[in-house]
Amino acid sequence: MAVMLEVRSLEKRFDGLRAVNELSFDVNEGEVLGIVGPNGAGKTTAINLISGTIAPTAGRVFYRGEDITGMAPHVLVQRGIVRTFQATTVYRTRTVFENVWRGAFLQNFPGFWSAFLSTKAAHERRAQCEIWVKEVLGWLNLTAVADLQAGSLPYGIQKTLGLAIAVAARPTLIMLDEPVAGLSAEESERVREAILNIKKRGITIITIDHNMRFMSGLCDRILVMHHGQELAIGAPREVLSNPAVVEAYLGKGYVAA
Amino acid sequence: MYADVRVSLPGERSSWLSLLRPRLVISVLVIAALFIWPLLFNEPFAYYVGTMLSLYSIGAVSVHLIIRTGHVSMCQAAFMGVASYSSVLAVMSLGLPWIIAALLGIVASVLLGIIVAPIFLRLAGKYFVLVTFLFGEIIRMVFVEWTSVTGGANGISNIPPPFEAVGSKFAYYYFALVIALCCIFMSARLLRSEIGQTLDAIREDERLAACSGIPVLRFKVIIFAIACALAGVEGVVQAHYVRYLEPQSFGVIASLNLVVMNVIGGMYSLVGPLLGAAFVGILPELLRQYVHLQHILFGVFLIVAMAALPGGLVEAASRMADLVKKTFRGRSNGRHA
Repeated sequence: MAVMLEVRSLEKRFDGLRAVNELSFDVNEGEVLGIVGPNGAGKTTAINLISGTIAPTAGRVFYRGEDITGMAPHVLVQRGIVRTFQATTVYRTRTVFENVWRGAFLQNFPGFWSAFLSTKAAHERRAQCEIWVKEVLGWLNLTAVADLQAGSLPYGIQKTLGLAIAVAARPTLIMLDEPVAGLSAEESERVREAILNIKKRGITIITIDHNMRFMSGLCDRILVMHHGQELAIGAPREVLSNPAVVEAYLGKGYVAA
Repeated sequence: MYADVRVSLPGERSSWLSLLRPRLVISVLVIAALFIWPLLFNEPFAYYVGTMLSLYSIGAVSVHLIIRTGHVSMCQAAFMGVASYSSVLAVMSLGLPWIIAALLGIVASVLLGIIVAPIFLRLAGKYFVLVTFLFGEIIRMVFVEWTSVTGGANGISNIPPPFEAVGSKFAYYYFALVIALCCIFMSARLLRSEIGQTLDAIREDERLAACSGIPVLRFKVIIFAIACALAGVEGVVQAHYVRYLEPQSFGVIASLNLVVMNVIGGMYSLVGPLLGAAFVGILPELLRQYVHLQHILFGVFLIVAMAALPGGLVEAASRMADLVKKTFRGRSNGRHA
């Protein structure tokens, strides 16, 4: 598999604290890479650095050979890199359809003048985008709730909607920050299916979570972080039986599924 | 199969029947009334109030556009002042025709906006408010201190009208009304398009909007520049109407008034600042007979209106519309039962 994302010696310091320290790893096209580690290991900071939410102190990030270090989030979306957030992030007062429509900004926005003058090109773009949004809703089983207000939906569906907003941007790489945090087993299963559905469409995924059962069933490879550094990386079974990982993160009572 | 999703998208084309929408009918009636009433009453003072209301509407809409990006600007009157002084000086010192001078004034206001917006708009909430407040005061102080150009605290008087044809209060009323309607129509078009929808996304969750590919800062700067252009329009039309310029007219109180119009009217609908401008513009005139208490009563009315209607006059109107709908539905259900 070709390498899609290369992270090289990435570092982020907050005053004296090194939240991410000399972190290097690759992400292959089409795979699901999980990032796990204890609280404070630097997982979310790593995602924030790659997605341009915060700038690194040192190190580089390459996407398909292009240096994307420190690029703004909206520029990365144009490259095909999209992320979701740890807390449920949806437009609560808008319908599910409108949420996904907003996620498809690059598809629906026809340019300033075209939008202002409501040109024929703008109408055509709108019609095409409507089809695309309905398609995304269909993929993630959200069609039935399309005209309901996002804030009124159960937490699990809001998490799936967060995924749908990200997918609507037509990404090639999605980074998911704790997609099943706070969800019941049933809701987690729904989100897992949604993520596998996204993977089936050839989208590469990086995901962070603490739920090891969820991660080992979903990921092709797992990266374990500890104190901002890589502790281990590899196939789930191999990583979860690594003594250093058991010692630092899983605990001695953990038995790999 | 997809469910039949009914969501209104920006600029959606609709059937001729939808032309009978209540909002459109009300708008047409209001505009018709605004054009007809001066023909029926010969009241120069009413023409003056009407003209000022048209001008306030432009300023209030200017602040409204910035509010839609999630910021409250306390310096729109300063941009109005920059346009006013530029236009008046261009007419009186350089002898340029009003239309050219007005365009120069508006361009000056927009250019200043484009210079400061990328700095200001990186700030959020109270920091943005504070910085724009200070900026407004700096500009006002420039008007006061730059005596050789602005006339200092004494200001500039004997400003000529834009054209001979609009020399009377009656004619100026129509002149200002047409300009205000153009500004309002263009702002409405902007807010109903994908641009308005994008602004709402930015205001509701800036971080999520950026992660959907929206160039948040660029959008905000463009809207800020458009708002400065509107403030400039109000400035150039007002200066040649009042025929007198003084720095105090462009201070923080003037900027605050434009914000109050939005709060009183309703912050997240274009109708809000228009209702607010009417409220803030007309109320003091109605209170003129109580000269000693005029300002106190005006303040009390504002406080009561804000406390009783947190969503502004738009919310009150929408509640009344709901009530009327329910009453009509109840009656028609009663008839069918």
